[in-house]
Amino acid sequence: MIEVSPDIKFKKQLKRISNSSLNECMQCGTCSVVCSLAPDERPFPRKEMIWAGWGMKDKLIGNPDIWLCHQCGDCSTYCPRGVKPADVLSAVREISYQHYAKPKFLGKILNDPKWFPVAILIPVIIISAILIMAGTFQIPEGPVNYSKFFPHAWLNSSFSFLWFLTIGLGILGLRNFRNDMKKQDPDLKPTGSFIKNLFSIRKEIILHSNFSTCTAQKTRKIAHFLVFYGFILLLFVTTFAIYAAVTHNYPLEFKNPFKIIGNIAAIMLFVGLGIMIANRIFNKKDFGNSTYNDWLFLVSLFLLTVSGVIVEAARFINWGLAYHLYFFHLVCVWFVIIYLPYTKFGHLLFRVVAMVYAASINRKLK
Amino acid sequence: MKPVLVIGGGMSGVTTTVEIAEVGKDVILIEKNPYLGGNVVKFNNYFPKLCPPTCGLEINFRRIKQNSRIKYYTSTEIQEISGEKGNFKVKLKTAPQYVKNNCTACGKCLDVCPEERPDKFNYGFTKTKAIYLPHEMAFPYKFNIDDEYCKKESCNKCVEVCEYDAINLSAKEEIIDIEVSSVVVATGWKNYDASKIDNLNYSTSKNIITNVEFERFITSNGVGENKLLRPSDNSEPKKLAFVQCAGSRDENHLPYCSAVCCSASLKHALTIQELYPKSEIKIFYIDMRVTGRNEDFLIKVQDNKNIGLVKGKVGKITETESNNLILEAEDILSGKKMNYKAEMVVLATGIVPSDISINLNKDQNNFITDLQTDGIYPVACSRKPMDVSSSVKDATAAALKAIQIK
Repeated sequence: MIEVSPDIKFKKQLKRISNSSLNECMQCGTCSVVCSLAPDERPFPRKEMIWAGWGMKDKLIGNPDIWLCHQCGDCSTYCPRGVKPADVLSAVREISYQHYAKPKFLGKILNDPKWFPVAILIPVIIISAILIMAGTFQIPEGPVNYSKFFPHAWLNSSFSFLWFLTIGLGILGLRNFRNDMKKQDPDLKPTGSFIKNLFSIRKEIILHSNFSTCTAQKTRKIAHFLVFYGFILLLFVTTFAIYAAVTHNYPLEFKNPFKIIGNIAAIMLFVGLGIMIANRIFNKKDFGNSTYNDWLFLVSLFLLTVSGVIVEAARFINWGLAYHLYFFHLVCVWFVIIYLPYTKFGHLLFRVVAMVYAASINRKLK
Repeated sequence: MKPVLVIGGGMSGVTTTVEIAEVGKDVILIEKNPYLGGNVVKFNNYFPKLCPPTCGLEINFRRIKQNSRIKYYTSTEIQEISGEKGNFKVKLKTAPQYVKNNCTACGKCLDVCPEERPDKFNYGFTKTKAIYLPHEMAFPYKFNIDDEYCKKESCNKCVEVCEYDAINLSAKEEIIDIEVSSVVVATGWKNYDASKIDNLNYSTSKNIITNVEFERFITSNGVGENKLLRPSDNSEPKKLAFVQCAGSRDENHLPYCSAVCCSASLKHALTIQELYPKSEIKIFYIDMRVTGRNEDFLIKVQDNKNIGLVKGKVGKITETESNNLILEAEDILSGKKMNYKAEMVVLATGIVPSDISINLNKDQNNFITDLQTDGIYPVACSRKPMDVSSSVKDATAAALKAIQIK
């Protein structure tokens, strides 16, 4: 016997975000078959669709399968009822960011457009406050030198602190997520350590092999590949920059290998994000329904990339608005990395944790 | 008093025709094929009694033959209609009648005809000569010539051998103008084009056939002649699968339920069991839609140990090197994906309304709606999917409406 206690509020939220008429699903199972990833045992997303129809939040939220889906959209393409399982799973992911958000209000303000002004005000106020504390809250005179506006020591220490804080909070949420997954199937005993299981899924992550199986949208893999590695390169370059700011002369020369890598990474991000945005705009049929959560992350990462490149160029041409743009760039940085666990960027954490859990219970994708 | 026009000589059209004529009104029946009987005459047996449909049709053909109030034109289609109830002016077009009505179907022409054509009656799985008898039970019982394949006067062999002077290779198409009081549209249905369901690979796999094709495969006068032979190698398959809702109840294809395919597949499964009691059959379905007392039939199938009913729609079929087929479905009741290997697969394709060249009000799925000019009555599968017995009732109802128009 299964006891069903429908969470009506959750169901309404799911319906609103996914734009799917959940209950029109007739449980035929076409989606589970056409999915190129769903395993033979307890395949998805057919079972998720009935849980969605019944508003079974616990079942859906603590379900690793939600994150094993790579949103290729084959299920929605072949669905005989047009209930868009891909969008429903995506909506559950979106709700997960809010559900596991610590503190809760950050999850709320980053997933609801009406709170957008608050989401902007937080970094604006805090960055201004840091500048005031550093005593540099004004546009400096002379050639453009960003450290006159935001001294490196202040910038690196404050942003590093906030970054570690947010990741710490994110990990608290992930612990709950992992516990919820364990509770779902008490019979399944996870084996192996986190690191060992993470190592076992290295191929999927490094090569993006799960993306390759998508038949409907071939450009998705290349786009994600570019953004993924572009971002990792930039993270690497930034780490070096923090180190260089302490030990070397900063900013780096234009010909410095790290600077070159940074610029290549920016191009990779720009192209990858460009493809993602273009696909969403021009190929709505295959890419499904894009929500605020999806756009917020995509656009902030895109603006981060573009503003970063312009900020760099502004230094060379001594542009008058360089500092204003630099401030804007820092707000974008905030949206991407400080807000990470609460925006779609959180998939980085949730997906890895879910994939590691799946590996620990030996749940293999096709 | 002007006659009633019945468009379509399938089960419903024939029924309407005889019902009208037998209450004393003149009827003109037109049929685009060279024979009457429509889809039903191609069937092996009826659901649920499993008796042959030619039996009932034969009685109806007799009623037609004996009734002087009925005029029928085969190979004929409607071209134009104008006017109003009580006074419709209709233009009919009859394809060239190369074989005259004095043909006795002696078959001498068959021996000399050098040309072959795919037999449409068997969906192209067999061949006939360019001059052919549409099928064993054809009514009218006479030969016909396929325009596309016959070389006409340049060959002329059939004309030379015919003892009855029944062949005229220079025949032309004919236009017939008639005036009628009312019109019954019994244009019926065709099955959904299975090649449009790309995930089921119908067009690339030889051993996947549709349910209407399957009727010809198990009929004694059909493709295999008392044997069920699969197309790739003419072997007798012992593991078969039926794919329900192949196109039906699917927004990407036919959004509606075709109403008859569940019963048809149950019927097919039992027919195979009768022919090959050791065969293994799986029927993959979303819901088994057999209603009322027909449920007894379902129970009979459920009790058969060799027939497995699997709740789960087939999402993919792949062909193996030996032309066997792997069907993939999620068995909803166990929540496991299932790969079933079959030697032959039957797609339960749904009902699509046949085309008609005149302008009538149709719904979004191309079925003819009941809202027409007064005096025009759509009937049976031209207006919604239904089985034979419902069609016959619908046909009788249409007859009652049509005879009231003076």
